Amino acid sequence: MLEHSGFTNVRWGNQIDVFSGSKHESSAAAFDTRGVTFMATKAGTT
Amino acid sequence: MTIEVRPAAVDAEELRCLISDKYTEVAKTPEKGFHFHTGKPLAMMLSYPEESVDALPSGTVQSFAGTGNPFSMGDLHPGETVLDIGCGAGFDTLIAAGQVGTTGRVISVDMTPAMLEKASAGARDADLDNIEFREGLAEALPVEDESIDVAISNGVINLCPDKMAAMQEIHRVLKPGGRIQIGDIVVHKEVPEDAKADIDLWGD
Repeated sequence: MLEHSGFTNVRWGNQIDVFSGSKHESSAAAFDTRGVTFMATKAGTT
Repeated sequence: MTIEVRPAAVDAEELRCLISDKYTEVAKTPEKGFHFHTGKPLAMMLSYPEESVDALPSGTVQSFAGTGNPFSMGDLHPGETVLDIGCGAGFDTLIAAGQVGTTGRVISVDMTPAMLEKASAGARDADLDNIEFREGLAEALPVEDESIDVAISNGVINLCPDKMAAMQEIHRVLKPGGRIQIGDIVVHKEVPEDAKADIDLWGD
């Protein structure tokens, strides 16, 4: 999706289990959901 | 290989109302407890520096509800123009405003009025005047073309019914060479189509 939106140089950070242990059960656990951070750039120069 | 990312088969307006109601609760009663972590414990889980968190207004921290740490991909630079998409209570907005300094500015967009009110109050409490808050959607950003150096977001794109439209909007507002630093979620098990169309699951 990032590349199809025109972004390049995509870099991904660590994945973290951000839902386990929350006060109320999340449906996210059923899909093995993880928090993640990423970055990418728009082609060109400023 | 062409990857098609279609809008979710849900009523977009109904979904936005559901999400806005949920995040109004996070703004007004953060102590209530949700299906996601909030506040300082979440910030620590995401490796925000504790001294940065403690320097923020307490109300801003209490209503923090992200899924990643956009600053873990690199600090922002003095003088940059930043867009915070779905700024919520302003946790990342205030950190960004501090990093870009008085020569930079932050434009923060959210669709939930209660969150914008809380974020504005946090900016006043932190004595930061390089932030502008705007009500709007990620899929229709109230921001000029090619005006942004870096777009940040945290736990928001996954809640957008049309994710491709959101990413294309972010691409539109970025200057050439601009960057995104985004925290969000990934799933490791395929989500069935009927689950994607179940609007109740979006809020759980």
